[in-house]
Amino acid sequence: MVSLITEDFWDQGQFVAKSLGMPNVPRVKLPHPVAGLGEAKIEIIAASIIEDIINSFANE
Amino acid sequence: MSDFLDAENEEMALEQLHDMGCTDGLPVVIPTQERVIRCILASGLDGDMVLGELGPGMGIATVEKVATAAVMAGCKSDYMPLVIAAVKAAAKPEFDLAELQATTHCTAPLIIVNGPARETCGPVASGYGALGPGHRANASIGRALRLCLINIGGGRPGISDMAIHGHPGKFTYCLAEAEEESPFPPMHTSLGFDKSDSVVTLLGCEAPHSCLYSDNADDPEDAEKLLKILSVGLTNIATNNAVFASGMALVCLGPKHANVLARSGHSRESIQQRLWELTHLLKADHIRYGGEFGKAFRDNPEGTYPAFKVPQHILLMVAGGIGLYSMVMPNWGGAGHQNSAVSVQVESDFFCAIPGLGGA
Repeated sequence: MVSLITEDFWDQGQFVAKSLGMPNVPRVKLPHPVAGLGEAKIEIIAASIIEDIINSFANE
Repeated sequence: MSDFLDAENEEMALEQLHDMGCTDGLPVVIPTQERVIRCILASGLDGDMVLGELGPGMGIATVEKVATAAVMAGCKSDYMPLVIAAVKAAAKPEFDLAELQATTHCTAPLIIVNGPARETCGPVASGYGALGPGHRANASIGRALRLCLINIGGGRPGISDMAIHGHPGKFTYCLAEAEEESPFPPMHTSLGFDKSDSVVTLLGCEAPHSCLYSDNADDPEDAEKLLKILSVGLTNIATNNAVFASGMALVCLGPKHANVLARSGHSRESIQQRLWELTHLLKADHIRYGGEFGKAFRDNPEGTYPAFKVPQHILLMVAGGIGLYSMVMPNWGGAGHQNSAVSVQVESDFFCAIPGLGGA
């Protein structure tokens, strides 16, 4: 499992992961906000994080 | 038992609590051991008794911790049964507190009090300005719950409480139903309780929005016009209820408006039914304005859809002074239970008046 979390929600992700007893759950940071950017920009973001996602799975 | 903090005096203790993020930004009453014990004793419960778990921090709400919040909020010890009931309601899984605290929506838990505890554990105001300043029980009971959500539940803005704006009800949000002024049976009787029960109902919802209707006893369409006005205030394509087509909302009828509906023969149930019918919205608007959420009806774009799944998801209560206004509070509609209201019976059997302490 890999959580995708935007920059503004990074601290919240850390807080929730810790409170749920999963402080080391793999996470990948996205820019904020992602919603409403349109497909072209989403594809650019996706391309920029795909390697991080694969690495996170590989390290599980 | 909780750990103790040290400070040279109350002024420095207050600054310490502010610095630690333990307040709501306003000054608090310093929760000295004596004050907290007084509240625990008044509750008649063991300080270590667990009332529930509060998310997203998943902190354990004991009577002692809740009493600490009640002291900080300025509660009289008499209010403890209501504060405890509100915390129990917030901790129920069906309230989805972790999600409610974490969402970007502005939602805040509104405490609605019904039954004898309105007086015996208050008085909790239900008349003029019930949601405004000047009513100690309303102000401090709602604030006590908020301090529990901060210090036990871990809800802190921008870190774990991601509300984009929040709303003033996140400081305190509490009122009682004006049962004596209402032409209808009290709200809690429609939720499965006896009239003689004392009940706290918790609903995560937006700030109240005022609905103006100038009634006219000579107008045969008076009630229907009022219901139309309320439905417009309650739901439009800008609200989560309309866009998510889920959640609940509260209609807080002013006593004058309640009597307009009663004299036309309406019951609580028929009002809910008619409001539900009037909050059917155009699918075309949902598709056009609903953004990503607007995909729901793209395969079937004709006609209307209900903003609320069933009429009972429109809660109805009576409160406020006598005038031309009612209030509506839409809600978030998210999380596993779609932002449901949760009701808990108030247990005041164990409550003890502490001699010589004047209930303060």
